[in-house]
Amino acid sequence: MTDPKTKLDIYRTMVLAQSWEQALMRLIDENLAPASYHPGRGSEGSEVACTMALRESDYLLYDHRGMAHIIAKGVPLVGLFGDFLGNELGTTRGYGAGIVHVADPDRGVLGQSGTLGGSQLIAAGAALSAKIRKTDQVTMCFFGDGAANRGTFHEAANAAGAWKLPLVFVVQNNGWAVSVPTEYSTGGAFVDRANGYGFPGVAVDGQNPFEVHDVAVEAVERARNGGGPTLIEVKTVRLLGHYLGDPQAYREAAERSTSATRDPIVWARAALKESGEATEEQLSAIEAEAIEQVEAAREQALAGAKPTADVLTEYLYV
Amino acid sequence: MTASSGARTITYSRAITEALDEEMARDERVVVLGEDVGRMGGIFGATPGLYEKYGADRVIDTPISEMFIVGGAVGLAITGLRPVAELQFADFIVNAADETLSKMSKWRYMHGGQFRVPMVLRMPEGATGGGGAEHSLCPEALMLSYPGAHIVVPSTPADAKGLLKAAIRDDNPVGFFEHKALYATRGAVPDDPDFVVPIGKADIKREGTDVTVIAWGRAVHWALAAADLAATDGTSVEVLDTRGLRPLDTDAIFASIEKTGRVVIAQEAPRTGGGASEISAVIAENVIDLLEGPIKRIGAMDVPIPQNPALEALVMPTPADIHLAVKELVG
Ligand SMILES: Cc1ncc(C[n+]2csc(CCOP(=O)(O)OP(=O)(O)O)c2C)c(N)n1
Ligand SMILES: [Mg+2]
Repeated sequence: MTDPKTKLDIYRTMVLAQSWEQALMRLIDENLAPASYHPGRGSEGSEVACTMALRESDYLLYDHRGMAHIIAKGVPLVGLFGDFLGNELGTTRGYGAGIVHVADPDRGVLGQSGTLGGSQLIAAGAALSAKIRKTDQVTMCFFGDGAANRGTFHEAANAAGAWKLPLVFVVQNNGWAVSVPTEYSTGGAFVDRANGYGFPGVAVDGQNPFEVHDVAVEAVERARNGGGPTLIEVKTVRLLGHYLGDPQAYREAAERSTSATRDPIVWARAALKESGEATEEQLSAIEAEAIEQVEAAREQALAGAKPTADVLTEYLYV
Repeated sequence: MTASSGARTITYSRAITEALDEEMARDERVVVLGEDVGRMGGIFGATPGLYEKYGADRVIDTPISEMFIVGGAVGLAITGLRPVAELQFADFIVNAADETLSKMSKWRYMHGGQFRVPMVLRMPEGATGGGGAEHSLCPEALMLSYPGAHIVVPSTPADAKGLLKAAIRDDNPVGFFEHKALYATRGAVPDDPDFVVPIGKADIKREGTDVTVIAWGRAVHWALAAADLAATDGTSVEVLDTRGLRPLDTDAIFASIEKTGRVVIAQEAPRTGGGASEISAVIAENVIDLLEGPIKRIGAMDVPIPQNPALEALVMPTPADIHLAVKELVG
């Protein structure tokens, strides 16, 4: 069971991710960052609670939805703003901008495959690497319900199952892949697929990050102790469009408003208060702190210099 | 070729095995993975004995999962290992196209230089009689329009060994094409365990003064045979082996053309859209005024490789085709 201190940490990190995203949207409004972004509102419960089950030396393959997993892995906010601003302070030194490839090798953040599903294979390789090198590192790989339908998943999951790799797959099932409903595009349940590859699958409600954390801790421990992979299917929601400015004409008003009631941040706040694990003052303080932290990072990141043409070939070959 | 002191005569496939063995012994981060590379020693016999010597953790028989072989190798490479992955046939590069062309080749660049991807992707290539349209290709040029990885194609046992060792030691990803028809060919290979052939340096396989024939991989041997034929006409052919397509040793190419003023480019891949087309363009852009005649390209017919070996032979370029092009140039 997630202890009260961890619960507060999860809440703090979710709020930090939310504040970060709000600040990013402001930068986009101010025309300081390109408008290509996949908002993460609604999936913070899944992304934060799973990632917080990892150690700094563990590997993370995040997905394109939001930045909460990356923030939970401890990547400094200045670097993330720098990536979206496309300046030298970014984790990719001004290469990224918009839908970025954040990288932080020292914190195990191995980057992102822009083609969906590519990260599943790289995650299987990273997990195999830990096994070969006999470290106890665990790899966690996030992807959406849409990306779960790529053939890459089959190849990665089969190898992971065959060799009991220390790998945790997190399927963030938000019911949509852009405009296509999951139930239309998908045969069977994602969670059931795990059994076919010889490892356990667990479905969990992403609105309750504390429960998600319990599940993730168990999966990470199993992986670390040689018990092999786990697939966690987190039922989550996409509170905003696929991309910023998506009019979402394909979505019924009723479905959107049901989703809106499943916000993990709102849920966790109420739960913490109700259980007496946090007071209104504590929660407000966490929220104010997050805004301050984000503001400071934003100011610092805005001072970064833009890259010049001389970097264009710098990173092509070693 | 006879072995001189400090060299032995071995096959091209033995040269590959020795390169892997020596580099695995030298650096425990080197691991080999692919279909049938372990217990069997590779379907073309290029990896025998490694599994017994280095164990299942370093010589990994993978499932038939080409995307995993290459994408997984990228994961190994960015987390401290130096994988040598094998696609059983070079044609299967398209089964792992995104992993090869976008993950292996771009991961470092996309992430602002935060990673190195020290991996080699070995790909047995070429038509050897009856492989058919999906097991016979030389798809080296496919990688050309995707910057980020070297493209190496050895033509002799010495080059195979020296270039593979260089590729394994290189911190960049390398697409390494081995011609299946060359595995059984023999040649002298230096004994020195630190014998490496630098990547991106062309080699003059035969000196000549009248016509330069540029080739790589198996076509080098066709070019040498064509040079013998041309010699009987009194024409002196220089055979320049590029040893691959990227980096391209343009200095060596231009120097040879400066000497001969005539150039034929021979490849096994279909004539259209191959390495020869790119090299032609580079020559035309830079040294067209040194040329006394048109640039000639020799390649396979622009058709899928027929399964029937007799038809395959009709599609493949031959030394006679190269010889004819040489004759046309010298008039
Ligand atoms: C191989 C590939 N196909 C398609 C796309 C374009 N694309 C980007 S995100 C996306 C939807 C992904 O849906 P899902 O995996 O459920 O994640 P979500 O956006 O819902 O978080 C699509 C189709 C892509 N980037 N890569
Ligand atoms: Mg989705």
